[in-house]
Amino acid sequence: MRPLLALLLFLSLALAQTPTGEPPPDLSPEVFKIASQLRCPVCQGESAAESNAGVSQEMRRQIAEMLKEGKSEEAIRDYFVQRYGEWILYAPPRRGVNWLLWLAPAIGLGLLGLGLWRYLAEARRREAELALGEEELRALEHRLEEE
Amino acid sequence: MRRLFYLLIVAVLGGLFWWGLHRNPGELKSVLIGRPAPDFELPLLPPYRQAWGERFRLADHLGKTPIVLNFWASWCYPACYQEAPVLQAAWEAYRDRVLFFGVNNQDKTEAALKFIDRFGLTFPQGYDPRGKVGIDYGMYGVPETFFIDRKGKVRYRHAGAIDAATLKAKLAEVLR
Repeated sequence: MRPLLALLLFLSLALAQTPTGEPPPDLSPEVFKIASQLRCPVCQGESAAESNAGVSQEMRRQIAEMLKEGKSEEAIRDYFVQRYGEWILYAPPRRGVNWLLWLAPAIGLGLLGLGLWRYLAEARRREAELALGEEELRALEHRLEEE
Repeated sequence: MRRLFYLLIVAVLGGLFWWGLHRNPGELKSVLIGRPAPDFELPLLPPYRQAWGERFRLADHLGKTPIVLNFWASWCYPACYQEAPVLQAAWEAYRDRVLFFGVNNQDKTEAALKFIDRFGLTFPQGYDPRGKVGIDYGMYGVPETFFIDRKGKVRYRHAGAIDAATLKAKLAEVLR
């Protein structure tokens, strides 16, 4: 009797699983790695990995399915770019005008450094101008001693 | 000279800032514009099966008449509730020249049927609980309406509730 009950319990649990055709909700880390590079279309500043919006859930499901089909990470990213445009990518592709975006921090730092360097050079020059020469110093010391 | 240089930098940065402030972040161009409408096949919701069959395949209707594709959900309040009567009225006026098709997106059947009943929607409605077709169309969120011309190309995408005037103007465009 007991083994039969155990079997029944086991079967009832099996029946309680998600309907067929849907991947299990516990998706692989690989799915989240790809989803984190994609924008959640309806959110503000959230990736498809973090967001719980319906469309993000479906994106993760589709990523899982495509991985299962053996598609590469790049192919999956392309799939979404074809539908949403490059807007969907968190990191803009490194080409054309986009280089300006990628180089902006370096350009900014460079300009800042240049400004700082010029300022310091100017300060040093002024200091040197005001500073007393060796001879002047000796003459002054001499006068002090005399007095 | 130096003052002019700094003034120029401030002007450029200020200009960028001004432009960014006045841009509508919701206004995103669909990459589909000018491209053939992606095909899909969906089961129809029960009230439409008698007239349209069990399933609806877009390709069977592409290239005949213009098509208005509307993505909606019963949980999309108030936008979907605002546009539903507008769409129904337009369908009644244009049904002999334009095909309207509704894609019920990520919804529960009962809730969807209640919505259909409430607005008396008579144009065919497909059921897409996963929202697969929405992603194929690069949809951001419901409601969205796509206008497909007689050649099967996407002409215009409207994000958000569509009003009667826009609907009429875009219908005239695809009918031209």
